[in-house]
Amino acid sequence: MQHALPQLRRLLFLVAVFTSHLIFAQTTVSGTITDQESGEPLIGASVLAVGTSTGTVSDFDGQYAITVPDGATQLQFSYTGYATVTEDINGRTTIDLTLTAGELLDEVVVVGYGAVKKQDLTGAVATIEEESFNRGAIVSPQNLISGKVAGVNISTNSGNPGEAPTVRIRGGTSINASNDPLYVVDGVPLDANGVTGGRSPLNFLNPDDIASMNVLKDASAAAIYGSRGANGVIIITTKKGQSGTPRISYRAEGTVSEMIDRTQNLGADDFRNVVTFAAPGRLETLGTANTNWFDELTQTGYGTQQNLSISGGGESNTYRVSAGYQQLQGVIRGAETERISLNLNFSQKLFDDKLTVGASLKGANENNQYDPGVINASLDLDPTQPVYDPANTAYGGYFEYGIALAPRNPVSATEQILNEGTTYRGLGNLDLEYDFDDLIPGLTYKAVLGFDANSGKSNRFVPTTFATNAIDGYDGEINIASNLRTSKLFDTYFTYAKEFGSQRASLQVGYSYQNFNFEGPSLRGRDLTTDAFGTANPGVAEDIVAFNSVVENRLISFFGRLNYNFDERYLITASLRRDGSSRFGPSNRWGMFPSAAFAWRILQEDFAAGLANTFTDLKLRVGYGVTGNQDFGDYLYLPVYQYSDQMTQYQFGQEFVPTIRPNAYDADLKWEETSSLNVGLDFGILNNRFTGTLEYYQKNTDDLLFTVNVPAGTNLSDRVLTNIGALDNRGVELTLNGVVYDRERFGLDLTGNVSFQHTEISRLDGFGSADIQTGGIAGGVGNNIQLLSVGQTPYSFYVYEQKYGEDGRPLRDGIDYNEDGVANNLDIYQDQNGDGTINEQDLVINEAPAPDVLLGLTANARYGRLNASFTLRGTLGNFVYNNAASNAGHLSRIAGPGYVSNVHASAVYTRFNNPQYFSDYYVEDGSFLRLDNVSLSYDFGNLANDRLNLNVYATAQNLFILTEYSGTDPESGGIDNNPFPRARIYTLGARIGL
Amino acid sequence: MQTKAILLLLFGLALTACTDLELLPQDKADPNAVLSQEENYEVFLAKLYAGLAVTGQQGPAGASDIQSLDEGFGQYLRALYNLQELPTDEAVIGWNDAGLPELVQQTWSSDNQFIRAMYYRIFYQVSIANEFLRETTAERLDARGIREGFRPTVEQFRAEARFLRALSYWHAIDMFGDVIFYTEESSLGGAAPEEASRAEIFAFVESELQAIESQLPEIGAAEYGRADRGALYMLQAKLYQNAQVYTGQDRNADAIAALVKVIDSDAYRLEEDYADLFKADNDRSEEIIFPINFDGDFTQGYGGTTFLVHASIGGNMTAEDYGVNSAWGGLRTTPSFVALFPDVTGDTDERAIFYTEGQNREVTALGEFSNGYAVPKFTNVTSNGVAGKDPVFADTDFPVFRLADAYLMYAESVVRGGGGSMARAVELVNELRERAYDGDAGNVAESDLTLDFLLDERARELYWETHRRTDLIRFGRFSTAGVWAWKGGVPEGKTTAAYLDLFPIPSSEILSNPNLSQNEGY
Repeated sequence: MQHALPQLRRLLFLVAVFTSHLIFAQTTVSGTITDQESGEPLIGASVLAVGTSTGTVSDFDGQYAITVPDGATQLQFSYTGYATVTEDINGRTTIDLTLTAGELLDEVVVVGYGAVKKQDLTGAVATIEEESFNRGAIVSPQNLISGKVAGVNISTNSGNPGEAPTVRIRGGTSINASNDPLYVVDGVPLDANGVTGGRSPLNFLNPDDIASMNVLKDASAAAIYGSRGANGVIIITTKKGQSGTPRISYRAEGTVSEMIDRTQNLGADDFRNVVTFAAPGRLETLGTANTNWFDELTQTGYGTQQNLSISGGGESNTYRVSAGYQQLQGVIRGAETERISLNLNFSQKLFDDKLTVGASLKGANENNQYDPGVINASLDLDPTQPVYDPANTAYGGYFEYGIALAPRNPVSATEQILNEGTTYRGLGNLDLEYDFDDLIPGLTYKAVLGFDANSGKSNRFVPTTFATNAIDGYDGEINIASNLRTSKLFDTYFTYAKEFGSQRASLQVGYSYQNFNFEGPSLRGRDLTTDAFGTANPGVAEDIVAFNSVVENRLISFFGRLNYNFDERYLITASLRRDGSSRFGPSNRWGMFPSAAFAWRILQEDFAAGLANTFTDLKLRVGYGVTGNQDFGDYLYLPVYQYSDQMTQYQFGQEFVPTIRPNAYDADLKWEETSSLNVGLDFGILNNRFTGTLEYYQKNTDDLLFTVNVPAGTNLSDRVLTNIGALDNRGVELTLNGVVYDRERFGLDLTGNVSFQHTEISRLDGFGSADIQTGGIAGGVGNNIQLLSVGQTPYSFYVYEQKYGEDGRPLRDGIDYNEDGVANNLDIYQDQNGDGTINEQDLVINEAPAPDVLLGLTANARYGRLNASFTLRGTLGNFVYNNAASNAGHLSRIAGPGYVSNVHASAVYTRFNNPQYFSDYYVEDGSFLRLDNVSLSYDFGNLANDRLNLNVYATAQNLFILTEYSGTDPESGGIDNNPFPRARIYTLGARIGL
Repeated sequence: MQTKAILLLLFGLALTACTDLELLPQDKADPNAVLSQEENYEVFLAKLYAGLAVTGQQGPAGASDIQSLDEGFGQYLRALYNLQELPTDEAVIGWNDAGLPELVQQTWSSDNQFIRAMYYRIFYQVSIANEFLRETTAERLDARGIREGFRPTVEQFRAEARFLRALSYWHAIDMFGDVIFYTEESSLGGAAPEEASRAEIFAFVESELQAIESQLPEIGAAEYGRADRGALYMLQAKLYQNAQVYTGQDRNADAIAALVKVIDSDAYRLEEDYADLFKADNDRSEEIIFPINFDGDFTQGYGGTTFLVHASIGGNMTAEDYGVNSAWGGLRTTPSFVALFPDVTGDTDERAIFYTEGQNREVTALGEFSNGYAVPKFTNVTSNGVAGKDPVFADTDFPVFRLADAYLMYAESVVRGGGGSMARAVELVNELRERAYDGDAGNVAESDLTLDFLLDERARELYWETHRRTDLIRFGRFSTAGVWAWKGGVPEGKTTAAYLDLFPIPSSEILSNPNLSQNEGY
């Protein structure tokens, strides 16, 4: 920064000079603006003639000169991070002024079980406030902060409306347990699992009701959540009311989602040419139509959103109520999501303000319709066949081959199969906070009582006229499932705060109880005697099977935290949580999760006085903590016997006997423990006009829960979930925020983040081998393309090294390149161990899907009342296995018999005859830079005699992507198998405030 | 005062904080509760048998027993078929699933997923049998209040469990040689089992079979699908006939002793029509000594005969003709196998069940279903021509041991000098040939009864019934001798190295169990 600073000053000066030249007129006022404390000149402070649009900024020496238009009587002086001052001109031509550093630094940041002043923060916590949220048609709250936080990768693997994004905070810490962060909404930790009929368990929250999202990234911050903190914590705070006259806000918007066509299977004419070239004998099976099956499935999606909120409050109470409606169609026919949400927050102070009662109730009804999942069928089906075949009444008048393994008609599936779900979710909590100040000064008590009920049902109906009877041998199918997932919460804690001299300390001790229940009965009926009832009358099914699953788990915790502040210079936070979980046996049931963090506010030191000119904030933080992960399933430590269903009985004589199986288990199962070290530096320069954070972290997950191969004979399966080995994550994160330009008429803020991360499996203990192939692909059975192995990034691709010809194309199968008399895999793949044969031992580790670098850039510009912003998001070094190409990019698909399948366009290039699933040709660099979001808004300000204000906005999402990846979308979870396409979404909306 | 009261109350509440974390599953059962009920012993025993037929607790797939491989691919019989038939002259498969072409070509490595599936399936059977034996000791029965009157039934169940364990141990030493050895004396979660030699396990299986003989039902007395002494004698005979390979000792005399008990008993008779042995209603066949049972409604999975029926049809064949809805287009045979028959139509020898229309006899391209004759031996149609109950999942049972095998084994052991009667041997072989030829046109004389003839005859009679690899090895024709299409990875075939007579111990197992050594050559 030392080098950058003079340049910055010069830039600012030029900007200042440029601006002041725009001003010409009558009265001129000039003067010098200085910092009250240091007496240093303030560079770039704004000066505005009140009531006009005339303004200027101060130069290098803090000097300004403003030409005041007629009628202006006051000047307003403002500077980021300082209190704004308004001075009467009173005929003066020189006004010198001192500004005082404002209260802005006293921002409060929500951490687990409480909040701290931002300057007291010792851990790696990122706060994203409402005004920085991503805009547009956003259904899942996680997407509000996508690209906004360093080290947090929020990626949606498909364009399904309402699809749950994958959230990874500093990479995943686990293999077989969950890698999702813990979500805490208004103090209630949520059950991470969803219910049937819902797309994402977090979708019950209306993004419009969210005030802020805080990401606890490191263990020193997350350790207060103990056994659930290993993957970080996202604390969501909803909007609360403020005292004063009622405020009413209404927002309405409409969206249009547009398909971006990037599918790569051949059109009808190209397909005819390929068949003519590669398998002329099959021409007879071709039809005469020109059908783009994929286009038949797509649509322009429309959506709307309406939100109404009323908030206000009296002297001792506040309230906010809101209602929202959102509906969004996908770009594939049949996919739609709808949400009706209600949110109520109320707070009342009682007994001389000693008791604060807060109540929060959130309710949502979500209605989803699902497309039948036939994107692949649309890419497989011969494009020369027609959509409809009226004579084919057995299949509802749709074209179908009637051959079991042939692809089904996707239009028939879309139009005939009904697949919908509904969820109702209610989350309520009552907070009681009592201030014992009169008894013991500094002592407060808080209790949170909460419940979370998530109920869902899903209905799927396949009529008898759908061609399933040819595949599975039954006429029509009904699936009905209903889930009820509930949790009960009781948190209680005391906080004691005391100041002595220049020292401050607070101590917190508490207890938490949370119980989770799930029950999920479902029914499958087949062989329907009539289609008349849909799913309403499953009694018409001749073959009915019923299932149920009942699960309960409980988490009990004791926790404590100490915050200590010495002279505003040294900050110490230490926490300890003891968690007990029903998921483990008696000997491992309780775990201890400590943390400690230290922060040093360097500018408070005498020797740092010289830095104060440049820096307004400089804080070094070091934190260490242990967090756990227990999110992997219930009762796995217990020997249990599992009954077989009706289809897995065994014939004894002429009777069928069901079976029971003793399940494999590990009685010694325990939590994963993630120890993490975080070193961070927060800095702010030029009065925090530019701020930033640099972090380094290291996470080591021990007792890794891993489904490993166990020696045969030691358990009742070949693979058992057990605690074995370790996984390491490490990385560097940099966040920079800058008010690049700040004037009355024009301003520009930039926020950027970049993070480098690496994850690898570092160790395995005892017996058990980690070389586990995973990552099943489409094509073949049991073909796994990824490997879990010590020393490697998890899920690295494990493939053959393809040989290439002089023309750069991969060598094709079926040609004896090496002239050994036989055309086999030795001709096209590298024989790594030189044993003269290509088999599994010639597979090599390639790249992995996890990105090495995450990038995010948000810009906000305003010009007068016009506001523009965009968010760019990217990842580097993330690799994708192009399964769409490997599965369809070969000519044997047109070999028949009975039907031919369309081929992926890559087959024209590779000329592969047979599928080459394990060729590293299909492992591609998926690095990308995506313009996630561009938004433009115009603030009409107060209208109708100040009775209302109006803001109109337009947003475009997913405008472009830069990538070398040849497939449809590099964000497809590592194995690209034609996911639901991501739409480009345009939104137009208005917000009215009363 | 008010404040103080509240504070005291809160501290009081803190002391009552709940710390109960003992939650038990509700949709799965506690072992003690299950095994306090008599009827559940049969249900538990059924799991040991079902382990040969299905893949887990949900049909057709779900809650899988083993996880190393796709459930359907990892089914016991399917894995056994893949290892015993694909590397031989009897079968080729066209699919490109990782590791499958390597089986056909004898180019497998210790990472082969199909070999891994077989290995873990075998020891899953051993482990689950051990668990059954641990849970049915007299002490456990006492503890669970099982009445005396039920004890003899449990004794028989235990004998069946030991038989099934012996069967899998036989498969283990046949395919993998020296393997891990553990019994009900071991405990779950304990140390990794030690390795034992092929001969040691041979001796264990031998002694087990002797020990349980009296506890199993009389020959032919067990209800269909369960092991009785007939199954036991067949397993003994298999062990003894292959003893030269397993232990270096000739035990043909012992093989004959066991086989005579089977052949002389009234319990079994040859099926009249050869093809009916492999149809949907073969559960009423009196020739089958020990089957693995499948059922379209109640015993579903993607392995077993469902696989054998679907995978062997393709090309111009109509799936419905074989009682199923779809052709998986995978399995065919090599020209060398076709050449064992006098003609391909089945008109001469009805055991020649080939589908030739649109099929080439030669296998030039492994991946093309049209290369090599199709073999629709197993079908899901009853002997009356009616399709099985379900068009996906076959009703057809799989004959593990059947009388015709006993006849041919007897003849072979006689020819190998194990004693017995040569005249009887000729008579038995001719019984099979008369069935095949619908008359005595194909009958052989004593002079024809050579080892070469018997190897070929075994192929003609027992192809695709998971005997071929073992037979070829016993006759020394699996690796260093014997050439057929794609053996060694070349279309015309070539001989391969002797170490391939044993499959490798899966690398995952070598890595996880330090007590194990890899087979030579891998």
